[in-house]
Amino acid sequence: MDCFYAAIELRERPELVGQPVAVGGSTGRGVLTTCNYEARKFGCHSAMPVFKALRKCPNLVLLPVRSDLYREESHRIRGIFHSFTDLVEPLSLDEAYLDVSHLDSETATIAAEVRDRIREETKLTASAGIAPNKFLAKIASDWEKPDGQFEVLESEIDDFVYSLPVEKIWGVGKRTAEKIHAIGAKTCGDLQKLTLVELDRRFGKFGHELYRLSRGIDERHVNPNRERKSVSNERTYRENIESIEEGSEKLRPLIDELLDDVGGKHSNRQIREGVVKLKFEDFSITSAQRPMDKIEPHVFEELIQEAWVRGEGKSVRLIGAGVRFVSEQKKEATGPQLEMFDV
Amino acid sequence: MKFQIDKSDFLEGLQQVQHVVSTRTTLPILSNVLIEAEGDYLKLSTTDLDVGISGRVKANIEKEGATTLPARRLFSIIKELPSTDISIEIDSDDVATVRSGPSFFKILGLNKEEFPPLASFEEAREFGIDQKLLKDALKKTAYAISTDETRYVLNGINCLLKEGSLTLVATDGRRLAMVEQDLEFPSDDETGVIIPTKAVNELQRLLQDEGEVRVRLSSSQVGFELNESVLVSKLIEGNYPNFRQVIPGDANHRVTIEREVLLNATKRVALLASEKSNSVKLTFENDTLKISANSPEIGEAEETLHIKYDGPTITIAFNPEFLMAPLRALDQDEVFIDLIDDMSPGVIKIDEPFLYVIMPMRVTG
Repeated sequence: MDCFYAAIELRERPELVGQPVAVGGSTGRGVLTTCNYEARKFGCHSAMPVFKALRKCPNLVLLPVRSDLYREESHRIRGIFHSFTDLVEPLSLDEAYLDVSHLDSETATIAAEVRDRIREETKLTASAGIAPNKFLAKIASDWEKPDGQFEVLESEIDDFVYSLPVEKIWGVGKRTAEKIHAIGAKTCGDLQKLTLVELDRRFGKFGHELYRLSRGIDERHVNPNRERKSVSNERTYRENIESIEEGSEKLRPLIDELLDDVGGKHSNRQIREGVVKLKFEDFSITSAQRPMDKIEPHVFEELIQEAWVRGEGKSVRLIGAGVRFVSEQKKEATGPQLEMFDV
Repeated sequence: MKFQIDKSDFLEGLQQVQHVVSTRTTLPILSNVLIEAEGDYLKLSTTDLDVGISGRVKANIEKEGATTLPARRLFSIIKELPSTDISIEIDSDDVATVRSGPSFFKILGLNKEEFPPLASFEEAREFGIDQKLLKDALKKTAYAISTDETRYVLNGINCLLKEGSLTLVATDGRRLAMVEQDLEFPSDDETGVIIPTKAVNELQRLLQDEGEVRVRLSSSQVGFELNESVLVSKLIEGNYPNFRQVIPGDANHRVTIEREVLLNATKRVALLASEKSNSVKLTFENDTLKISANSPEIGEAEETLHIKYDGPTITIAFNPEFLMAPLRALDQDEVFIDLIDDMSPGVIKIDEPFLYVIMPMRVTG
């Protein structure tokens, strides 16, 4: 979906059309969840701190997040996907992989139909990437954004990836990108010149992934039963938190929310470990985790202590608390074997 | 740096340290062995940052010094050399010249400064254990360590030390092996540490049947000093699950059985265990133990052993590998199997302080 949250808000408030609009933390300390193209012209983007966005675009209209509304819309759109194929793998509220390889029509035609249906039923625009695998489809979906689609044919893969910047590869963040640049590779084409052995030596297991993805090879299937791996709550505070005592206090309501989430929607899932995440004043992030099978507030307490000292005195702007679940799929694979510990 | 060394001495030294070198490393120096020539010895060290090992071998040192060379490569070169006399010289650029009989090799090394030093121990507790005792205890437990990386606290042996005893526990959540030994430990408070698999494997390689191993324990690492070697490892951080609670209390029924007979029968029957369920069924009834397995598309197997048993019929299924592993590791002639019922964990015991808990599998069909 194109600027999903912002697009929904604009649909609800047509008077704002044409103005730079963003959805996100309203305190000035939070980050933009998304923004429309007018705002992007000023250099705003999602995950940008609000204060920065306002500096770049003083006239930015900042709207509060209305999650329930977006979720409802997302549900409607997924319904549309499912009327085409059962093989739908949602990536987020506004993004999904669809496997339509078993359908007779041309893939590009199907994509156009899906997008038409979305426009008719929701008055929102969507963009699509059409390709032989997930990796390429995801990249292609950005090519003609907004309200467009782009197809990469099997025969075009080599050309398509050749000049593709390495940052486009799934899993390559800022750090890895720097490492790749340091060995003189800027594009997938450059990466292709490195042998598998060399990539392995430099990047370990991930090197194997780089080897394949830089050639446009991705064998992951569209998995309609992708399970939720974790739940977490996090909060950016109006003012930085200076002391661990205050941090612990702020952590408590997050754990309560977590208990609600886990006890409610996810009550059928088994917890594997608990995590506390901190973002420091300099925006560096750290997280501390420990195995647990139920939410134990005192362990979270210890985790925040553990993470806090890593800041070496820096104040904290964001605290998060979450749990990771035991994989149901993995559990099923073990079949009839009984377990000793309820892991 | 320059030295002469006997081929088999050098090989033995390299062999001892080369397992630690990781094959996949982002840091090239970790593929190398640190070689330090001093006095009458060559000290060899390797590390993967989690585990480090060093040992020494006798050599004729002509000029002292230190360098690092690719460990596996060096080992395979030395192994193939035609003569027992080897002479090695390293220049200031860490290029090694290896000469032996008619052979000549030039190997590019890396500067020793890049080599991460083995951890040193401050505020460590120190105690000694009989090598044979520890070797035996590890052999009886190490096979039960979990290889599932998502359960990392189980990727090692849990060692509990308290006054007078050492307890070693390994489990993957489906079976658990435990040994308790008498030990003089210089502290009143109980200490529990988890030693990672890799260190356990290396330690097993180093332990011999005689002598003592000195153990140094700090809050985050453990060191072992034995024979001519030192092994240092990070400990696994985290809480080991409460294993005592999964050890069944008194059993309802005890069966005594010859270890090898049970092992061999299980081995045969397991050949027909289906790939999907991977289980063998044990039926205890009227002085017999029937072991059976079947694969829908292949066939079935059954073997009957005569035992002393007059309790109710118990039919319990196990993963055959879980049943055989302790039988292979033990050397007693007889083992005891304690059972409660079809769905409760079975326990294998011997006449010594060892026990093995094995979780059953649901019997289907």
